[in-house]
Amino acid sequence: MTADGHGSGAGTSADRVLAVPCEGDDLLALFALDTGARLGEVPVGSHPVHATTCRGRTVVATMGERAVTAVDPDGEVTRIETGVLGPSHFATANGELYVSCSAGDALAVIDPEGLTLVDRVAVGAEPHEIAVAPDGDRLYSGSRREGVVDVVDTERRERIGAIDAGPGVRVQGVALSPDGDRGYAVDQRGARVIAFDPGGDVGGDAASAEPVHTEAAVGADPYDLVATEDRVFVPGRGDGVVHELGRNLEPIAVHEGFSRPVELFEIAGDWWVLDAGAARLRSLDGAVVETPAPGLVATPVGGGRLAVSHYDDDRVSLVDVESGTVWTADTPAYPFGSVVV
Amino acid sequence: MTRERSIDDGEAGDDSDASGASENATRRGLLRAAAGATVAGAASTAGCLGVTTPADVAARSEVSGNVGHFVGPSWLADNREDTVVLDARDADRFREERVYRARRVPFDAITARESTEAGDAPDTDAIATAFGEIGVSPEDDVLVYGASVGSRVTRVAFALAAVGHEGEIRVLNGGLSAWNGRLGTGSRDGVSSTDYEPDPASSTWVTREWLADRVGTFNGDGPGLVDVRVPEAYLAAAGSDALNDDHDRHGHLPGAVDVHWVGNVAGRQMTDPGRLVRLYEVEAELDRGGTVVVYGDDNVDPTSTWLTLKAIGFEDVRLYDGGFGEWANVDSDRGRYPVETATNVVIETEGSVGGDDDGGDFSCTG
Repeated sequence: MTADGHGSGAGTSADRVLAVPCEGDDLLALFALDTGARLGEVPVGSHPVHATTCRGRTVVATMGERAVTAVDPDGEVTRIETGVLGPSHFATANGELYVSCSAGDALAVIDPEGLTLVDRVAVGAEPHEIAVAPDGDRLYSGSRREGVVDVVDTERRERIGAIDAGPGVRVQGVALSPDGDRGYAVDQRGARVIAFDPGGDVGGDAASAEPVHTEAAVGADPYDLVATEDRVFVPGRGDGVVHELGRNLEPIAVHEGFSRPVELFEIAGDWWVLDAGAARLRSLDGAVVETPAPGLVATPVGGGRLAVSHYDDDRVSLVDVESGTVWTADTPAYPFGSVVV
Repeated sequence: MTRERSIDDGEAGDDSDASGASENATRRGLLRAAAGATVAGAASTAGCLGVTTPADVAARSEVSGNVGHFVGPSWLADNREDTVVLDARDADRFREERVYRARRVPFDAITARESTEAGDAPDTDAIATAFGEIGVSPEDDVLVYGASVGSRVTRVAFALAAVGHEGEIRVLNGGLSAWNGRLGTGSRDGVSSTDYEPDPASSTWVTREWLADRVGTFNGDGPGLVDVRVPEAYLAAAGSDALNDDHDRHGHLPGAVDVHWVGNVAGRQMTDPGRLVRLYEVEAELDRGGTVVVYGDDNVDPTSTWLTLKAIGFEDVRLYDGGFGEWANVDSDRGRYPVETATNVVIETEGSVGGDDDGGDFSCTG
């Protein structure tokens, strides 16, 4: 999820490619971004879910493997062993590519130039989302099983502590404010969000420090979140609401009327909500853009547009928040987190 | 002190020229009659009894076909004088009743580990000393028995292999209850100790570092790896009683396939060999020609799978003697020793996943 609608892939170019990992068919499907023309597909391994670009390569997280897959500009496909099952989310820090191994208890650290595993950092079991400090010196990894946000020193590639989000917590989304002064983590099981001090003393055991600043209740079954300088947005998938909170999690608004909100994007000054239960994007101000099908994941591509993956309908669409759907195309099974190349 | 069962091993009787089969039939007839009379006096089920005699049990425990290490009671009867018989049970049971002239194995000693730079390994000096104290020599042909063919028995077999035992190593299928020969009881018989010089067979085990060097290859390009614990422990099922509170981490070694070791045992006997071949070769997809490593929480239970795989023809089977207990609690650089908590390769034997339903869920959509 991103709060920057003009982030990755900003600008328009006729030769840009939308690369869509398709979890059900183990393929990376390629589309011309401007037209939606199908350009081909690359076998990448079992259950590809997310993709990123790094040093001119497209790297795909294949959750059903103990490896990720890199595709060179010349089309060469390289498998990079992680040793641990379930690569899911990427982050770049200190010039290295981190990937959470969600079926284990490690982050794999990959040299994006040499395409080799250079290290594994032990973290709480079932790490999922990762956030990186603005200067890249620290990385924050949420543990779905152990209820902590692990703090990793990226220079030493070493876990230096953890923020304990409480007993029985399933940490899902993790984000930092753009200035890096405040961290947030979603407790999916407890339907709450916590705010923590990312620069605090986290040395030693998780229980040795008390960096949790505050917490707030949010809608049921939250998964992801967005943090800006002065706002935190948390979709509650189970309740069809989006909580809007202040920097210190003080309540500002509860936006209702969604079916199953999953992601938010800031596009041209408005916040748009992707809804996995309804075929539309809806802004927090009430504007609506119809989409061909409900979307589970979307990628901002710039120019006020989103590439929306219709996971359950095996389609992908380019949606303009002003003019509606630009194109839609069939995909292999279960398209997921795309990247613009 | 010894005593004999009313049904002995054929050394006495009034029908000495009868065949073994007729002897068995005679015994069964006597026992049926006796059992029927007893039960008839207590209930109205006379005439429809399913009586199991020691001879029946012995007959069911015979081993046929191309199976190594496991032998039936008739083999022991035929080879009793040439075989050192080791009892793997505890002292109380040993005193109560045992195979005549069996020697009790000091169990704690033969599970001893030594700490090395590469991780825990069998303490072959301590193990060899323990065997020497009960008079075992490296060249002896040995038969091990217990109450069944459980993991205490197989641990003794492994311990012998680990010290480079030169003689044959066999296990009595069916355990003591299958033996209808001469029995002993009371205090152990005196034996002269030996100076058992170990010849450590390091190819029978692997260490933590051996495994760490191969993380990511198990059951793929590298060795087979079998976790013998219950699925709840393997999957780190939250709230399950199967989780060891002494462990810092729960789950399993990356890539391990879970086959609960109790699937090797059917009652007191080894499971039908055909079923075992299906279990390990077809369902678990292990390569009998490659290296297969087995591990559990400790270094006892996995030896059941270690011996079972060897018995059905796997060529290179090794035990991770340190076990998950060592791996999960390693002090530093845990990124080198990761654990996994989710998988889709649990081979069902006797176990089932309990506790919460977290195990196995690692999707990006949940």
